[in-house]
Amino acid sequence: MASGHVIKRAKYKTSPKGAGTPGVLKMTENKIMFKPNDPTSASKIDVEFRLIKGYKNTKEGSNNPPLLNLSLEQGGSYIFEFENFLDLQVCREFVGNALTKSGDAAKAKSGDTAKAKSGEAVKAASDRSTVTYPDEQLISSAEMELRIKLLRENSELQNLHKKFVLGNILTESEFWATRKKLLDGDSGTKSKQRVGFKSSMILDIKPMTDGRTNKVTFNLTPEIKYQIFALKPAVHRAFLNHVPNKMTEKDFWTKYFRAEYLHSTKNAVAAAAEAAEDEELAIFLKDDDILANAARQKIRRVDPTLDMEADQGDDYMHLPDHGIFRDGSKEITDSQHEQFKRTFLQDLNRQGEVVLEGRTIDVELEDPRTVAEALAQSRQESDENAKQERLDRISRMTEMEDLQAPHDHPLAPLCIKDPRDYFDSQQLKTSDDTRAGSEQLRCSLSSEEAYGSLRGSISEIKAMGLSDPVVRPEVAVMVLNGLTQNISSTKFQLGKNAQEGILNSLPNTTKEELLHHWISIQELLRHFWSSYPITTSYLYAKVSRVKDAMSKIYPQLEEIKESVPSDLRQQVFLLVRPMHQALDAAFQHYEADLQKRSAKSGDKPNGYV
Amino acid sequence: MKFQIEDVTVYFPYDHIYPEQYAYMVELKRALDARGHCLLEMPTGTGKTIALLSLITSYTLSKPNNPVKLIYCTRTVHEMEKTLAELKLLHAYQTTHIGDRARILAVGLSSRKNLCVNSRVLAAENRDSVDASCRRLTASWVRAAAAANPNLPTCEFFEEYEKAGSNAVLPPGVYTLQDLRAYGKEKGWCPYFLARHMVQFANVVVYSYQYLLDPKVAGYISKEMQKESVVVFDEAHNIDNVCIEALSVSVRRQTLEGARRNLSKMRQEIEKFKATDAGRLRAEYNRLVEGLAQRGNLPFTDNWLSNPALPDDILKEAVPGNIRRAEHFLHVLRRLVQYLEGRLETDNVEKEGPVGFVASINTHAGIDQKTLKFCYDRLHSLMLTLEITDTDEFLHIQTICDFATLVGTYTRGFSIIIEPFDERMPHIPDPVLQLSCHDASLAIKPVFDRFQSVVITSGTLSPIDLYPRLLNFHPVVSRSFTMSLTRDCICPMVLTRGSDQLPVSTKFDMRSDLGVVRNYGRLLLEMASVVPDGIVCFFVSYSYMDGIVNSWNENGILKEIMQHKLVFIETQDVVETTLALDNYRKACDCGRGAIFFSVARGKVAEGIDFDRHYGRLVIMFGVPFQYTLSKILLARLEYLRDTFQIKEGDFLTFDALRQAAQCVGRVIRSKADYGMMIFADKRYSRHDKRSKLPGWILSHLRDAHLNLSTDMALHIAREFLRKMAQPYDKAGGSGRKTLLSQEDVEKMSDGILNEMQY
Repeated sequence: MASGHVIKRAKYKTSPKGAGTPGVLKMTENKIMFKPNDPTSASKIDVEFRLIKGYKNTKEGSNNPPLLNLSLEQGGSYIFEFENFLDLQVCREFVGNALTKSGDAAKAKSGDTAKAKSGEAVKAASDRSTVTYPDEQLISSAEMELRIKLLRENSELQNLHKKFVLGNILTESEFWATRKKLLDGDSGTKSKQRVGFKSSMILDIKPMTDGRTNKVTFNLTPEIKYQIFALKPAVHRAFLNHVPNKMTEKDFWTKYFRAEYLHSTKNAVAAAAEAAEDEELAIFLKDDDILANAARQKIRRVDPTLDMEADQGDDYMHLPDHGIFRDGSKEITDSQHEQFKRTFLQDLNRQGEVVLEGRTIDVELEDPRTVAEALAQSRQESDENAKQERLDRISRMTEMEDLQAPHDHPLAPLCIKDPRDYFDSQQLKTSDDTRAGSEQLRCSLSSEEAYGSLRGSISEIKAMGLSDPVVRPEVAVMVLNGLTQNISSTKFQLGKNAQEGILNSLPNTTKEELLHHWISIQELLRHFWSSYPITTSYLYAKVSRVKDAMSKIYPQLEEIKESVPSDLRQQVFLLVRPMHQALDAAFQHYEADLQKRSAKSGDKPNGYV
Repeated sequence: MKFQIEDVTVYFPYDHIYPEQYAYMVELKRALDARGHCLLEMPTGTGKTIALLSLITSYTLSKPNNPVKLIYCTRTVHEMEKTLAELKLLHAYQTTHIGDRARILAVGLSSRKNLCVNSRVLAAENRDSVDASCRRLTASWVRAAAAANPNLPTCEFFEEYEKAGSNAVLPPGVYTLQDLRAYGKEKGWCPYFLARHMVQFANVVVYSYQYLLDPKVAGYISKEMQKESVVVFDEAHNIDNVCIEALSVSVRRQTLEGARRNLSKMRQEIEKFKATDAGRLRAEYNRLVEGLAQRGNLPFTDNWLSNPALPDDILKEAVPGNIRRAEHFLHVLRRLVQYLEGRLETDNVEKEGPVGFVASINTHAGIDQKTLKFCYDRLHSLMLTLEITDTDEFLHIQTICDFATLVGTYTRGFSIIIEPFDERMPHIPDPVLQLSCHDASLAIKPVFDRFQSVVITSGTLSPIDLYPRLLNFHPVVSRSFTMSLTRDCICPMVLTRGSDQLPVSTKFDMRSDLGVVRNYGRLLLEMASVVPDGIVCFFVSYSYMDGIVNSWNENGILKEIMQHKLVFIETQDVVETTLALDNYRKACDCGRGAIFFSVARGKVAEGIDFDRHYGRLVIMFGVPFQYTLSKILLARLEYLRDTFQIKEGDFLTFDALRQAAQCVGRVIRSKADYGMMIFADKRYSRHDKRSKLPGWILSHLRDAHLNLSTDMALHIAREFLRKMAQPYDKAGGSGRKTLLSQEDVEKMSDGILNEMQY
């Protein structure tokens, strides 16, 4: 949509497998045209976008060639094969934009304000092609999708979008530029925050029984498989070794759950017997040697204040067979089948550990091999840091915190019991004269003045050094007061006149209208103020567009004021007034700026303000 | 801060001191002055260790011409590390304030496993094999052979240490095990032998109980400690158990099989020597004729576990003639093993005194008492003669000889019990013959006799008059201190009923009741939803914990609990438990906290602190009684009744309650800390049980908290936690002072001291 049209080499196909006709694909605002290289060929296409219902395309990286499939409203479809994925990308975006536009236009047509809006839309489309928008073309398809998704999810946003973007007041990129956070934030969460494991995951793998037979069924999702792999590295290794060379995946999991069942029966002898018969089953029944090795590694890094393994190394009392063997306080173990006796308690510990480690990898769960590599990498840590940390922790642990003076400097706690009191008293202090002062401050300095004052202060510093405060205290106080006053006034109003109360007392339509206008005004004002100072003709055009839109809303507000019943008029007036004020301020600024520009345009020929 | 206790200037590394710490120091000082033993109970979380260390070091400083050495015994290695870290802090303070005069040498001593820096040796699996691999590289004959043949491997660290000779000393300072290893690595000296050597010169030695109490270990490590030493047993509430374990031996089938293998191996060795080096065996015989069981002073590295009998009871006379020859001795041992095998083949439980047992050996195997008594010494001599380095392989025959020596030496305080199977698992035959010591005073007697002052201290020594009877000594000072609290930072509760108002207990007839199991589960679940950070649960035994966790899993309570917090569990595998603890702490540091399931009398209950956010609540599920049908326990109870007039019931309750108190006491470490303790069993509400709890817990146990149900406990917990989260004045503003500054201490009269005592 950006440049108005796209021309690419492509092959037209009737089916994905067919050979296709080579030719040139040309797409404009509302039309798609295909001209075959061979002028005699019959496959010439000329179709309008509004007749196209949707589109599909092949993904990059798949084995398929870059195909774009446009399906028609009446049924049937056009398939184009491009020379490379880059072309496909460009065309797909173009199609996507054009489709949303024509779709919106179609929707608008069916509405009550049909004629006016569709006219606008058409005009918008043609207008837009005349102005160049620098960043428009950089939008990736992913971002486009994200935008569409956001619009779909947020009806308010959709309304705004319809009103301003399609109403030709703002351009697409301008509209989204102020919402970068929405876009970024969404994609940011995707990459940064990973969902950890559930802390009760090992309890979640439960079989289903049909109640009549002894058969049980397990439903395994990739997620569950991944959890099992994370919990039991040996199972994972076995999976890599045996599937699919030695057995099918289904057999593998059947064996696994068979082994789990044997564990749950706590019959170590039976487990040992079965393991002797079936060596694959034995893998699941034996202790996990990978875990044992990891444990040996980890035990070296453990905090010495809880290292019980060191105790064992120091314990000459419990030499084998020395000490009291069976006095009731000690437990009995059956050492013979020890290796087949993994307990539920051990599993619990293991799962706690895995949950704490969190999901260390961020790859597709489907492919276990990459998972294994990622797991191995993430497990390497630097030993040195751990050692230092251990030492630090010990020294922290040994100190008795309350016997010595606190480490940090004493602080006077800030205690505001009633924020309203606090801010009210602040407001009293800032009487009218300071307000005047702050307004004066706010009024714009000319560049000569600013330059002069900067020079003055630099020379002052040069002469006297930095001993004096950079900012004069009076100014600092003024700024502070100005700021706190703003805070306090909002606090004040929020506390005292419950706006929701007024809004709720209004009839629903009025309320919605008011809210809608308020949001629109906010949006417009944001754009308005953000375009200052006007440095390019583009900004100038934007400002005038925005200003026109605002001046349209102004009388609408007046209408609302008059339409409400008289008993509510006062309250509506209160609500509308700040909007009017904000708009007035904007208009004022616009006028003043216009005058200044016309006055100064002689001195500054390049339009610089 | 610096203050005066009578004639001693005490240097204390903090700006403030708790009044009970001050009182503790005063009592300790009096005991040192009187050169007698003392028994001091002070609640956990009041800084016992630092008070003790600063008083004793200051005492030495103020009496420079009569320095005392401090031998500080801890139960575990991690407590050793903690103590040394505190000592480091104190030492830094003292040296900055007094200067070089305050410099001391303090070392921690542990086994080779924890001190060795030789990677080849460390690769061995467990402690015994580490010891053996060390000997394989450092035994005197190995080194002699290596001198002739440079291809034989030796330990480069030990060789360097030997080369340095008398120059190999540690400069003054405080050395934790880690510091020792680092120093050893840096200098290229063996840290283990360096530490063993420096123990004689150190001002402070920190090591494990058994290095003093177990004659096998004490015999070669603590032989040369001077009389002018103060011995401290910290966390000593279980000291009687340590003592009786030190003198007990058990023999199982595997032991006897192993001993047979050892005997045939030794026989082969003897044959080999007869063929190649007959002179060596003859030399040994001649030495034995001359009456020397030992070869005088052995090289440092050849030392091995020494005689299991106490030093005073070892006969200083020649080895009897019938076992002087190596073959004859092997014959005697073989007969002994055979006899023991015969005794194990029994279907009934048998109990015998040592005298009867020795008589029976004499008639059936023809070995008299004196021969038995010399078994250990003769074996030791033979193994040195045969130059056996694989000591870990020969532990079985060592066990048999230890057994023989003990049974030949002692006539009272022991009994021999033969059980064909464990009573709790009658279907699994596992015969065991146990020589069990009943009298804790035997093992500790040499310590009391030898050293000038012995301090026994712990957070739970109640009832304090029982310990002198159990250990048979006369303390000059025996005191119990309260805790002066700035605020009620501990909140003990007795929970007798579950959420359905039915009683809960782990009594034998109730423990498998599903209602009780569910009530316990609901209690934990409700608490997990209310209490922030860490929760610690103690169960009465592993098997009970295993059962209850499994049934919680089956009825879904566990899953609900895990919605709130992660669960970690102590298992019998030490490595796994350590890692679980580490993960538990991680979880408490970073998230919604975690729950740790542990076992009373287990390793965790013995020595791991759950201070601060690592433990805001501890729940004791049930009363941790010993397994009362145990034959050994019954024999011990009988002995206690006959000898010390201690009633069985009293002892059992005392033992259970000290364990419970020990478990719940782990949550608090300083007065800034806070925690709740729930005793979840209806039996705790009975006066005879409850009154055995230490005073500092009892004084916070309000009458209203004696008979709670789950919902009431939950309410109290909410209130308590909200109250504790508020900021407070650490000095205890109004009323009693709970934190003393230097001026306070100087102004203090004796009035405050009396207040601190019961």
